[in-house]
Amino acid sequence: MESLISKINAIGTKTLEDIATASDLAGLEIFRVSVLGKKGSLSEVLKGLGSVGSDDRPKIGAAANDVKAKIEAALEEKKSILESRDLEARLANERIDVSLPSRKLHRGALHPITQTTRKMVEVFSRLGFDLLTGPEIETDYFCFEAVNIPADHPARDQQDTFFMGPGLVLRTQTTAIQTRAMRGNEWPIRILCPGAVYRKDNDATHSPMFHQLEGLWIDKKVKMSDLKGTLEFFAKEVFGAATKIRLRPSYFSFVEPGAEVDVSCFRCGGKDAACKVCKGSGWLEILGSGMVHPKLLELAGYDPNEVSGFAFGIGIDRVAMILHDIPDLRYMFEGDQRFLSQF
Amino acid sequence: MKVSYRWLNELVDFTLSPQALADLLTSRGLEVEELEGQGKGLDKVVSALILEKGKHPDSDRLSLCSVDVGAKEPLQIICGATNHQTGDKVVAALVGAELPNGMKIGKGKIRGVESFGMLCSESELGLAKESEGIIILPKETPVGKSIAEVLGRDDTILTLKVYANQGHYLSHYGVAREIASALGVKAKRPLSNLGGKALSLDGKGSSISVVLSAGEKAPRFFGCEVAGVKVGPSPAWLVKKLESVGSRSINNVVDATNLVLLELGHPVHAYDAEKISGKKIGVRFSNEAEKLPLLDGTEIILSGKELVIEDGAHRAIGLAGVMGGGNSEVSVETKTVFLECAEFDSILVRKAKTKFGKMTDAATRFERGVDPTGLKQVMERLAMLVIEVAGGQIIGSVQAETSPVKARPAIEMPVDYVRDFIGIDVSPADVTKALESLDCAVVKSGEILSVTPPSYRLDLNIRQDLSEEVARTVGYDRIPSTIPQLSSQPIAKAFDAKGAEQILIERAKDAMVRSGLCEALNYGFTSRTWLGEFGLEGAVKVQNPMSEEMEWMVPSLIPGLVGNALHHYRRHFGSETPVVRLFELRPTFTLSGATVTDFETGITENWKISFAMSGPRFAQALRAESGDVDFSDGKAVLESFLDQMGAKGIRFIPLHASRNGTHPTAKMLHPGQAIEVLSGNQTLGHFGLLHPGISKKLKVKANLFVCELDWGILQKMSRAASQARSFKPWSEFPPMERDFAILVDEKVTADQITAVLLKAGKPLVKSARVFDVYRGTQVAPGKTSIAARVLLQDDTRSLQESEAESISASIIAALKKEFGAELR
Repeated sequence: MESLISKINAIGTKTLEDIATASDLAGLEIFRVSVLGKKGSLSEVLKGLGSVGSDDRPKIGAAANDVKAKIEAALEEKKSILESRDLEARLANERIDVSLPSRKLHRGALHPITQTTRKMVEVFSRLGFDLLTGPEIETDYFCFEAVNIPADHPARDQQDTFFMGPGLVLRTQTTAIQTRAMRGNEWPIRILCPGAVYRKDNDATHSPMFHQLEGLWIDKKVKMSDLKGTLEFFAKEVFGAATKIRLRPSYFSFVEPGAEVDVSCFRCGGKDAACKVCKGSGWLEILGSGMVHPKLLELAGYDPNEVSGFAFGIGIDRVAMILHDIPDLRYMFEGDQRFLSQF
Repeated sequence: MKVSYRWLNELVDFTLSPQALADLLTSRGLEVEELEGQGKGLDKVVSALILEKGKHPDSDRLSLCSVDVGAKEPLQIICGATNHQTGDKVVAALVGAELPNGMKIGKGKIRGVESFGMLCSESELGLAKESEGIIILPKETPVGKSIAEVLGRDDTILTLKVYANQGHYLSHYGVAREIASALGVKAKRPLSNLGGKALSLDGKGSSISVVLSAGEKAPRFFGCEVAGVKVGPSPAWLVKKLESVGSRSINNVVDATNLVLLELGHPVHAYDAEKISGKKIGVRFSNEAEKLPLLDGTEIILSGKELVIEDGAHRAIGLAGVMGGGNSEVSVETKTVFLECAEFDSILVRKAKTKFGKMTDAATRFERGVDPTGLKQVMERLAMLVIEVAGGQIIGSVQAETSPVKARPAIEMPVDYVRDFIGIDVSPADVTKALESLDCAVVKSGEILSVTPPSYRLDLNIRQDLSEEVARTVGYDRIPSTIPQLSSQPIAKAFDAKGAEQILIERAKDAMVRSGLCEALNYGFTSRTWLGEFGLEGAVKVQNPMSEEMEWMVPSLIPGLVGNALHHYRRHFGSETPVVRLFELRPTFTLSGATVTDFETGITENWKISFAMSGPRFAQALRAESGDVDFSDGKAVLESFLDQMGAKGIRFIPLHASRNGTHPTAKMLHPGQAIEVLSGNQTLGHFGLLHPGISKKLKVKANLFVCELDWGILQKMSRAASQARSFKPWSEFPPMERDFAILVDEKVTADQITAVLLKAGKPLVKSARVFDVYRGTQVAPGKTSIAARVLLQDDTRSLQESEAESISASIIAALKKEFGAELR
């Protein structure tokens, strides 16, 4: 009996030593099978248990179980050590250069003029404006006559016009859309008209084609203070809450009274004499506006004693240049990928 | 228009600084665009005395001067001029000065000798365009004085932006009236005193008579004959006044007329009385083909539609309201002058001015209209000035009119009109006060104000005009900010429809951006040559283009995008193909055939959406993983775009098989690497590789893929698809896959194969696609090995293996029958 127990213990001691020296999971499995497997050394020893007296069996059994438990615990422990060592090795082995350039997709972009138009349209939409567009080649009637600039009126000198043949021009102002809108439609009118306009001019701040956003609101009891409030809302939403606006009397044939509107410089607030945005004046001239001239209302078949309205025209390109820090208007129309992909 | 600060100050009392004056005028709607002191650039420039003129030790040409500039110590200044001597009074620019010509004066060394300033010439001070030598001042000039003061350049010139309806501001007196109104004082009308008493012309005694034969187009004329004048140079004060606002001195008589124009705003003219034959002057319409020599030396040929001044021999001697005739000009020999102050129709003046390109000061004023009641007073001022500067005495005056000045009707408005229309808090008394400050006569009767504007305010005709006057007088800054009331009245349907179209435009742009494209914006016009490179011709022409580059309205957006790509290629550095990823959504222009009316342009603005692509597939990647975009990449962008726009029932057919091969876009593309995009039988557009012929000619460095779709057709399809999509359940039963590897003639297309697969596999084949293609050494020449996969599925049950087998068999049979396909 004693010899059997010592045999078991010897197996235990030997096995624990072997486990400690095992260097990989496969070797460890070999040790496990060689001891605990069906034909393993411990199993073989226990097969001889039949020849042992029944009094000794519990003792031997207990000794065997004890050794088996120790071996299993040691195996488990070693296994976990080896597994985590293997994982470490694998992780180290699978390391890649994460700083290599990715297969990066090209980023598309909307033109800054489109982005600016959207931003402004979104702001005005909240006040109840709808969108309307019109043709770029326009009749002299809609572009001039109907906005109270008859032929041979000095106001025609204010805009250098491209002529497209008898009675046709490239529209010089989106105001032409206003008159189209009023013709044949009942008031109330609350429209925004974005679009390209054309004038004979070409330098860093003038382009023969540029963009305007026209606004027109006609209803009962519309006042000039409504115009001011609307434009103030626009200015604060687009240029920031601290923005102020300034109205100056001005003349546009299609409004009376007329007002040039300046927006306080969002960059320097008028505090930087060397400011690049406002050139030190503190103000940005970006739009013209006024109360719709009664002649336009009459032409549309509205009664100027019943309804009134306001209109404004914003230079979209100018606002886009201001918002995006674009130094030269000509970049806008060169189609240069390096320019267009920035915005 | 330029006005002089000092001149204004003569006509109205004020103590405002030039800047404060500019701010005041701008705030009242008379915008001051520029404010320039005559002394600009003359800081640190002083009168000086040459104490000693010596020689530069190292130069024969340069002199070394010791100069007294009024400081404790004399300065050493080197000078390159030769016209100065010891003891001369000169002009010295000190260190730190920035001269009008932009030159900055610093301490410098010239050939090893230090120089502490510069002795100036007239051109360096901006007094003359060219000059020789330095300025030598009069002996009595004090030393060390500011040169602006010494030369009397102490005025400030304001450049005003005068709008088309503001004729009343086109004179110093007109601007003075505005200042006076703002300050609550009266402007001082320039005097017409002769011999200490006010001159009064009675329209009698002139030996020259006046005949007006153009009816209401030339309704009034006031003339005055002055004999014994001595024509010669003007006195210094007159020259200085004219030059201060950019008007050139000619002679004393002409200068007097120009002064009156600048002072009172009513153009006047002086004739040599002896050159007016028959002692008669008149206004009539010109005769067709009549010739008229003008003061500027040109000769114009009249059309019968202009007003001219004529003499007793019916000879044209002036283009009425625009420019005098060269044949009646005042010269040094002139003894007697006949002065004219008349009124001409503003539209006729404008037409004549435009037709002959004579943008004169007179025309600028007449086309805006002049005060019809002011002729006599203007003439009195002119006659007085002529006699003051050229001597002589008045023989007599003459006046004529075709009809009396029409009385301006009073403008009536409710007392609260301004408050209600502007939204500004003003009482009826405030309104009255504001209008009276502008010389309006205001009568209040009950709840109505009757307002009669002054005769010089031709722009005040309706109550809205008056409300602007009140608002600008009170100050636009006092208008409150309110938000307009939304009414419950519905908005016209037309606006909804246009709005929906605009939403689709924005959606299309977003779809393009998601595919990595950048939005380009090109001008609506281009050159005939550029269009020609693409086999295109414009249909709509700009009649007065800025250049040939901007002459024809574009019929397609592709030439613009290719131009953009070339612009980019030319600026591209490095070994990789330049990246071009552009799209554009804008109108193209063709003639509609409709007649042009007030409301119809006769032009179709056909919006197109186009894109252009070339260069690396990825914005960055390792070489093995990248590569330039090819046909498939471009087609993917097109398919993805059409899918996002909800366009259904689209077919692509190879361009070489298109029935519409003469389409302008088709001709721009490689016939073997392009497709026509069809919606039903309608051509929606094209996509493909830019034609190699065009690429070669234009030196397009890369494979450039272009696409153009008709937005009009697409947006109709999109709108139909933009209704809310209904949910469609998917099959809960697993699909079965079957692959077919076949060998077919290389001309057989993937589309043809999938069509056969779908047809032969009905109804269980849900989809079919080609997933591998091989041509090369492993297959016979002229053959292609193709692998295709079909997906079988039933929505209501699981399929049996036997069903798949039987469908496979029919598919194989069909492939053999259609293409003689061999199974591999």
